[in-house]
Amino acid sequence: APLAELSGDQDFQLFLHKNLEFTRKIKGDVAALQRVVCDTFQLCQEEELLLVRQDLGIAQAPLEQCHSRSFHAEACFSQIRSGLRVYQGSLAAVRELLPSHAALVETLQLDAANLSSNIQQQVEDLGLATVTLPAEDRDPLPAFSSRFHHQVGGFFILANFQRFLETAYRALRHLAR
Amino acid sequence: MAKSELCRGLEQGKVRITWMLDNEPMAGSQRRGAGGSEVSNLTLPQFNRTQARLWCWVEWNGTKQRVGVAEIRAGYPPAKPFNLSCILNLSDYALTCQWEPGADSHLPTSVALKFARSRALVETGCTPQGGHNRCTVPRQLLQLYRQMELWVSATNALGTAESEHLCIDPMDVAQLDPPALQSIQSIPFQSDCVTVAWEVARSHAHMELLCELRYRAPEDAAWALVTGIPGQARTAQHCGFLFGTPYRFQMRCRRSSAQGYWSDWSPGRNYTTHE
Repeated sequence: APLAELSGDQDFQLFLHKNLEFTRKIKGDVAALQRVVCDTFQLCQEEELLLVRQDLGIAQAPLEQCHSRSFHAEACFSQIRSGLRVYQGSLAAVRELLPSHAALVETLQLDAANLSSNIQQQVEDLGLATVTLPAEDRDPLPAFSSRFHHQVGGFFILANFQRFLETAYRALRHLAR
Repeated sequence: MAKSELCRGLEQGKVRITWMLDNEPMAGSQRRGAGGSEVSNLTLPQFNRTQARLWCWVEWNGTKQRVGVAEIRAGYPPAKPFNLSCILNLSDYALTCQWEPGADSHLPTSVALKFARSRALVETGCTPQGGHNRCTVPRQLLQLYRQMELWVSATNALGTAESEHLCIDPMDVAQLDPPALQSIQSIPFQSDCVTVAWEVARSHAHMELLCELRYRAPEDAAWALVTGIPGQARTAQHCGFLFGTPYRFQMRCRRSSAQGYWSDWSPGRNYTTHE
């Protein structure tokens, strides 16, 4: 059944409600790491780092199917899942950057993996078309040419992930009653 | 039936085999067996212990020698564990479960907390240490915000028993920290009303919480309770207070979507309403 019909489904609403809270949790943890990067490396404002960003080639996970203009729920769910997979991998660069916060980064990676599988299992439960992600489609970690580039890379991985989560959150909230 | 090999150096003389159950002599029959062996037969009619050693003795050079032993264990299949309950610690997101073991089986019994995530294979979450009836599943094995099935499995030589299966989302059994009352103030021109302000623990900021406020004056026999307060609101107004009266306030919260545990009551805060 198309997702629109299911939005009245109680299980689906419970799924949305729970995973809205889960997304808020992850966003809070990403924000905490952004504060650490700001406090530790004085990297706080994106506008100050646009030039360096061009050299780094930090990929952003696509979420155009989740934007209101072109919202397509099933495709949006697939993009959220693969995006979470990408950021789960990219966070390894942040873990290297912030060894004293490795536990928080690992929690973030676990949460991203859990959220992704929660979405997959819910989509399967609803009998919707699922996109099977290749086992290891994670982009190779960017090789940073300097420690400063590594810091800026970490800054943008977190900034992009925060934006990604914001869009994903709005999409889930759009479906929730 | 117990059996013991003859030791070298005994072949020449006449061998007399005797048995002892721990320190108690046991009657047994003895006959010559194949290949020059001596076979001794023994039946323990009423074994009413859970553990004992059956010793085989022979006489040698006028002395009695221990030449073999059999460990005997007796008991029951494991009892079905019950009263399984779990709680999620929000500081490390580990899930601690505890249960009642049931009657002692008197046999070495291995116990494990098993779990299955939806449609997934059965895994071992943790095994209790030091004879405790609880253990902790690390965050790595949990699936947050999704139903998991958990149960206790007890196995000994005589069989396996499983507890009832618990179907929970670990987040639904999170143990919350109490909120912190920040301020209590009277409302201008409404001396029977106060505004209460609080903060929830930072690690709970993403959760939708439902809170309760209780208050009482020194002479009140019981607490008055205000329920259904949305935790994220951070402030609430309540009326019906006596003017010029000292009250003690406390608050607690739990997750609004679930049947989870209440936090402890917050530390108390005193406030005297205006005249």
